[in-house]
Amino acid sequence: MQLGTFGAILRFAMELESQAAAFYEAAVQGVLADLFQEMARGSGKRLNRLERARREGVAEMILESIEGLDSSSYQMDLTADADTGQRLQQALALEEMTSLFYRDAAAKMPIQEIVRLFQQLADENMQRQGELAELQAS
Amino acid sequence: MLEYGTIKNYVGGQWLASQSDENLEIHNPASAAVIAQVPLSTDEEANQAVTVAKETFQEWRETPPLVRARYMFRLKALMEEHFEDLAQIIVKEHGKIIDEARGEVRRAIENVEAAAGIPSLMMGYNAEDIAVGIDEECVVQPAGVFCCIAPFNFPSMVPFWFLPYAVACGNTYIVKPSELCPLSQNRLFELLDEVDFPAGVVNLVNGDRRAVDTLLTHPDMVGVSFVGSTPVGKHIYATAAAHGKRAQCQAGAKNCLVVMSDTMLDRTVPNILTSAFGTAGQRCLAGALVLAVGEVYEPLKAQLVEAASRIKVGDGLDETVQMGPVVSRRSLERIVGYIEKGLEQGAELILDGRGIQVESCPDGYFIGPTIFDKVSAEMVIAREEIFGPVLGIIPVADLDEAISIIHDLPYGNAASIFTASGKSARQFKYQVDCGNIGVNIGIAAPIATFPFSGMKDSFFGDLHGQGRDAISFFTERKVIISRWF
Repeated sequence: MQLGTFGAILRFAMELESQAAAFYEAAVQGVLADLFQEMARGSGKRLNRLERARREGVAEMILESIEGLDSSSYQMDLTADADTGQRLQQALALEEMTSLFYRDAAAKMPIQEIVRLFQQLADENMQRQGELAELQAS
Repeated sequence: MLEYGTIKNYVGGQWLASQSDENLEIHNPASAAVIAQVPLSTDEEANQAVTVAKETFQEWRETPPLVRARYMFRLKALMEEHFEDLAQIIVKEHGKIIDEARGEVRRAIENVEAAAGIPSLMMGYNAEDIAVGIDEECVVQPAGVFCCIAPFNFPSMVPFWFLPYAVACGNTYIVKPSELCPLSQNRLFELLDEVDFPAGVVNLVNGDRRAVDTLLTHPDMVGVSFVGSTPVGKHIYATAAAHGKRAQCQAGAKNCLVVMSDTMLDRTVPNILTSAFGTAGQRCLAGALVLAVGEVYEPLKAQLVEAASRIKVGDGLDETVQMGPVVSRRSLERIVGYIEKGLEQGAELILDGRGIQVESCPDGYFIGPTIFDKVSAEMVIAREEIFGPVLGIIPVADLDEAISIIHDLPYGNAASIFTASGKSARQFKYQVDCGNIGVNIGIAAPIATFPFSGMKDSFFGDLHGQGRDAISFFTERKVIISRWF
């Protein structure tokens, strides 16, 4: 689906965070438990930040078509794999894809407050990727 | 079965079915479906609301401001909790897109937040020893019963330019919503009921001109806040004055957007589009005329048409849509009538929004973005408020000519300039006789802590809605000079 408005982009971002939270919650097991629990909690907080942004970031609506952003570019299967290593791979891919979405969306978003938020979220995704990679290495 | 049934009045803390046998149908403008009925309340019902509000006034004014502020905090919390519901109701009754509706709810909440500062906002002042042993003080007191006559275009926000301040100041209040879009206030009054104000502090009376005149002329009514068209605003102002009421009447507009040749066009065009076509042009801050200065005229025109033709029109609840329908079939016909008038008078239609088809909503009141070129200042489409998504372009030689066109209009609501020159911007904000000025801002909408201004035929009164003006409007200042023997 084309994400051509402020509302459509925010809704998709919120769906991504909901899916991420659900994935991490479902995958809380074994050595991943602590980190994934933290990730799930983090995704929940990010979802709340996006909801606040949707409610509060519309003081200046810009009625200009946003083009070149499609939700189909940011999809992945988030059924938690039984294998720990695979789950970790899934998490890394999820963080990378989500980070990419926020960077792409920030580049097209005409509202400065939301650009800043998306950049922060993308940076957090990178940080989360780092934590996951660290766990993988250990 | 209607989605919202027949709505009721809220008087004295109770939901009351109107005894009137006259009802109007409320349509969803995207589908033309009837979603509710609104009663045209009787004189007795309007009078009863004033009586109840008057009876409650004494108790409410004695409630400490800090306590009254806590009611505002509770109201804010409830509005946040039901934010999405409130936004969706706006879309269903008005047609604007969901993002715009969310923005409207946010603006309504901001006024509640601002009014929660009432313990500080209502402070008076004093001076000791104005003569030896004599002190003087000015106290600020609530004045009594006030009412608001609301328009259809911001059914949630506009009454909240007034109600939170009036009530926080210690007055009691009556809202008469637009009979075209009464559902938002109906829902907000459900929340006000949940806030649990003392019965009679806030009241809702549905109806039309009859209810307005009854409220306006009631001996116990202290003042009225109105937002709507200029002819009705003049009527309200004159009637209020004739009956000794205070009044603030925000009326029509024909807002000009001046584009200088030094502007950043890529930043300017989206702002103009939002100003002209946001809320399908149905707002008193909508840009209606672009005054293109010098050589910017041709590239600006081309970019505006190109970008406006890509705006997606449809049901406002669909988040991919960028512009919704206009509020009613009558409104649609009126706008089309203006387009025909423009053609008759020789303007060139370079983007025609008439006859637009929205597949999923074949019966909706849709009209697409419409742009006229070669508009001259004396044409009807350049002088009258169309209140729809119709933008006229007038080429002008310089800023002086642009300002002269603005000053020749009867209205003085808003005007904006797009420029990279501080000198041009200063000249514009210094000289232009409009209440709300934008510098590289397409919609110069004041936030809650500033007055929503307006001049000439766009405003009748002296104190505006919102900000410090609101506190002054809803209060008396009493001066006490004292000496103790």
